[in-house]
Amino acid sequence: MSLDGRAVLDAQDIRVEFGGLVAVDDVSFTIPEGSIVSLIGPNGAGKTTFFNVLTGLYQPTSGAVIFDNVEITGDPVHDIASGGLARTFQNIRLFGLMTAQENVMVAMHSKMNAGVFATIFRTKKQRAEEAEARRFAQELLDYVGIGEVTNEYARNLSYGDQRRLEVARALALRPKVLLLDEPTAGMNPNESAAFVQFVRKLKADKGISILLIEHDMSVVMQVSERITVLDQGQKIAEGSPAEIKSNPRVIEAYLGKSGSEASK
Amino acid sequence: MANTATASTAPAHTAVSGNRKWAIGFISAVAFFFILNKFLLPQATTPVQQFFNNWFSLTSMAEIMIWIVMALGLNIIVGYAGLLDLGYVAFWALGGYVAGWLMSPFFSSLQLNFFGNARPGFEFGIHFHVFLVLILGGVFTAIWGVIIGGPTLRLKSDYLALVTLGFGEIIPQFMLNGADIAGHNVTNGAQGIGGLDDVNLFGYVIGTFALPEKFLMVSLLAGAMIFFSIRLRDGRLGRAWLAIREDELAASMMGVPLWRTKFSSYAIGAVGGGIGGVGFAILVGGVYADRFNFVISIIILAMVVMGGMGNVWGVVVGATTLAWINSIGLVQVGDLVNNTFGTKINFPSYQFLLFGLLLVLMMLFRREGFIPEARIRMVMNEDKIGDEEKVSDETKIASN
Amino acid sequence: MKEKPQMTSVASGVARKKKVTPSAILMKVSMVLIIGVAVYWLGLNLTNDPKQFAQVTVNGLNNGLLYALIALGYTLVYGIIELINFAHGDLFMLGAVFSFSLLTEFLGATGPSAKNYALLLVVLLLTMLFCAFINVSIERLAYRRLRNAPRLAPLITAVGMSFVLQWIGLKWIGSNPVNVNTVLPSTDFEIAGIVIAVKTLIIFAVTVPLLIVLAFIVNKTRRGRAMRATAQDKDASRLMGIDVNQTITFTFAIAGAAAGAAGIMWAQTTGTVAYNLGFQLGLIAFTSAVLGGVGNLYGAVLGGIIIGLIQSYNDGLAIGPGQRWSQTMVFTILILLMVYRPGGLLGETAQEKV
Repeated sequence: MSLDGRAVLDAQDIRVEFGGLVAVDDVSFTIPEGSIVSLIGPNGAGKTTFFNVLTGLYQPTSGAVIFDNVEITGDPVHDIASGGLARTFQNIRLFGLMTAQENVMVAMHSKMNAGVFATIFRTKKQRAEEAEARRFAQELLDYVGIGEVTNEYARNLSYGDQRRLEVARALALRPKVLLLDEPTAGMNPNESAAFVQFVRKLKADKGISILLIEHDMSVVMQVSERITVLDQGQKIAEGSPAEIKSNPRVIEAYLGKSGSEASK
Repeated sequence: MANTATASTAPAHTAVSGNRKWAIGFISAVAFFFILNKFLLPQATTPVQQFFNNWFSLTSMAEIMIWIVMALGLNIIVGYAGLLDLGYVAFWALGGYVAGWLMSPFFSSLQLNFFGNARPGFEFGIHFHVFLVLILGGVFTAIWGVIIGGPTLRLKSDYLALVTLGFGEIIPQFMLNGADIAGHNVTNGAQGIGGLDDVNLFGYVIGTFALPEKFLMVSLLAGAMIFFSIRLRDGRLGRAWLAIREDELAASMMGVPLWRTKFSSYAIGAVGGGIGGVGFAILVGGVYADRFNFVISIIILAMVVMGGMGNVWGVVVGATTLAWINSIGLVQVGDLVNNTFGTKINFPSYQFLLFGLLLVLMMLFRREGFIPEARIRMVMNEDKIGDEEKVSDETKIASN
Repeated sequence: MKEKPQMTSVASGVARKKKVTPSAILMKVSMVLIIGVAVYWLGLNLTNDPKQFAQVTVNGLNNGLLYALIALGYTLVYGIIELINFAHGDLFMLGAVFSFSLLTEFLGATGPSAKNYALLLVVLLLTMLFCAFINVSIERLAYRRLRNAPRLAPLITAVGMSFVLQWIGLKWIGSNPVNVNTVLPSTDFEIAGIVIAVKTLIIFAVTVPLLIVLAFIVNKTRRGRAMRATAQDKDASRLMGIDVNQTITFTFAIAGAAAGAAGIMWAQTTGTVAYNLGFQLGLIAFTSAVLGGVGNLYGAVLGGIIIGLIQSYNDGLAIGPGQRWSQTMVFTILILLMVYRPGGLLGETAQEKV
């Protein structure tokens, strides 16, 4: 069971304080290699703040983030990303005025080498690099199922296609870990089910470890191997879907939102 | 399968036919003016000569080429990467002085000749070949782009604009005061540096007054700049710049190093000023400090804005139009109107109004430029699309 | 004045562990060096010729107060909509031109007399109204529409506006500077060997109360509170029932009035008005605002006085770089501030890093 594997991402005693406010309260969290895990919790639980610490956007007041056995706390965001930690955004943040293919190619920036002169004079190396990048981008677009819209401006794509494009773009970083921020927001049950399949396929095909932040409990229950629950900045439960579903503290945390959701 | 996919996945905007059409147009225009002025006009009748000299004087056409070079340089900074630079004139000044230092008898205590073309009797000073001067001019301004950009690119856009404005004032001030810096005459102050060498291209000398040949030379510079701009945009750097302009947070989370990339747009964009500066100095035979002022930075900005930020050919057209209006149009149309209607309106005095209103009205009503790329139309009008889509960045991130 | 709730700064240094980076050390060292050099320079001149030093100090305060008035406008507007109103300096110029046109030309008030003093006060008020009106109009017509546009748009518009206002000035009084026959007496009097012009006293007499009144408005009145609230958090203010549009209009009105006052005082005390007055002074005034801390009213005053002094020292003291370097000095200060301490003296130190 992949949950016993080593932790490809290991967040240790993460504490985030803003002035007097404690957003994340000494949370430790791991993502075992090759697993699919979820992070849930009511609004204001600190999920997004924690998420931002993992990706390097915020730095924790104390604590450390270890990625692939290397500490990345305090590293610049782009280095963390190019090191193999990719994410999608809750509110889609594509580069609307660039084509789908260009969006994906932007994420390849750190893996490409062409400098100013090579670009201007289209050296053989640069041309080959560009062709390979285009090919790989197309491959990713095909993989997520939007291969036909390669040259469409991202802004013009349908919502579902945009979500897929976000994933394709993240995959272009050749990530070891993929963080998905509320990936099924705005999806209907069919789309969510298709998404669950897709996440499983991702793990099977590419061996990527996946972390989801989600509100849709059915998705969470179906796809997660392990669920971690945050409430008011603290980790209040962690375990398999069955364990979490029946955990009284979890249900209590969600009461007031919709207890029925948590007990689905 | 992969091959056919590659063929059909060339990015839309590198539509080769589009670029080709514009390139042919540009080359034809250059050829036309060269042939016209070199061969035809000297034989033409006086009214014909007068018409062309009034409305399309070769001096102005040559200056237009210089404006194109600079506008394209600024386009890389403002149009591609989205950084507001209000002090671009500084780069132009720097380029000009490189030409003044390396192609004239100015440093009379030295005598350095490197494929240069000193005038007889004026062999003292530094005399480099024009290619070398162009390259060094570009390098020098790129270095200054690094110096200026280094500490300032981390600032928010308002502050960045102001700092660049500051540099745009300091550097020309320095040139103006440069006759006596710790006892050395660095720039000859307000007098400037004159008597630049004539350009010697492998034996063919472009005389000081050989205007058609000079025109050809600066047109080549403009053409090169156009070429560089298009190539850059279609490559890895261009994509990174456009991504930063659109959403720099997302760009950084996709592995694009923000500071480094903004930096490179600044340094590379600066080169346009440098080359333009060298070209202009050769054109007029000297470099004069009082020509460099803030108004020029704004004129170049207006060219980029009018042309549609990021759109290479749009900026070429914008630069041509505005430069023409500024140097010829205002005067000639003014005379025409005044002569026809007996009025006495001083048209050139409307320069400030023209550029001011242009900037204001373009921002209010047509932010994408006159000849916009489709992509620009969308980002510049973001705020006109529904309010629901507009959630501030911060609340997106911190909402949970 | 401006204290953003920390949670909304994405990449701010708030939750950051304070690292002692080499660049921070370098900055501290260079700051100490700069201050040391400045103190040395001033001390040198003070001991060299104390009378001249005092004289130059008085001049500096004189100019500094005017800069403070103009800086106020920049700082209030930036505080509330985060826009550097490039046209503000030219608004000041138009105030000077308007007052010249009205007081000196139309009303013919030249030379000191009781009647002329009365006219001066009237025209002062009218100039303030005039500039307030123009500023409010610019906001309504141009800036308001671009409030949610991408950053570049309002910035470029402000630059364009600056040009338009300069053109108006150009058309109004021509391209050459005009002489203003002031109503203020040209007499001086001496205190301990220092010559103080009566004009200088008048400036003090006018600007200090004005600044006090403005400070009162911003800090104690309901409108002022609304301004500060909106500057801190527009959305929250709206939810509290504050009419944000009206508040912004009010801010522009005050900023304009301050600029107008500075304009007429400038015209009457320096005796010259030129169409490009605004550009130079605008940058000096903005530097003052940044020095004191953008968005902070007291900061604008403090910054204005300091910059006024620095410029005066550089122009007037015997030992120093000299007048031709004054502008460069001020701009260099601006650049250093922006890079190392954008919060200025009285503002926050957190830098918004990219």
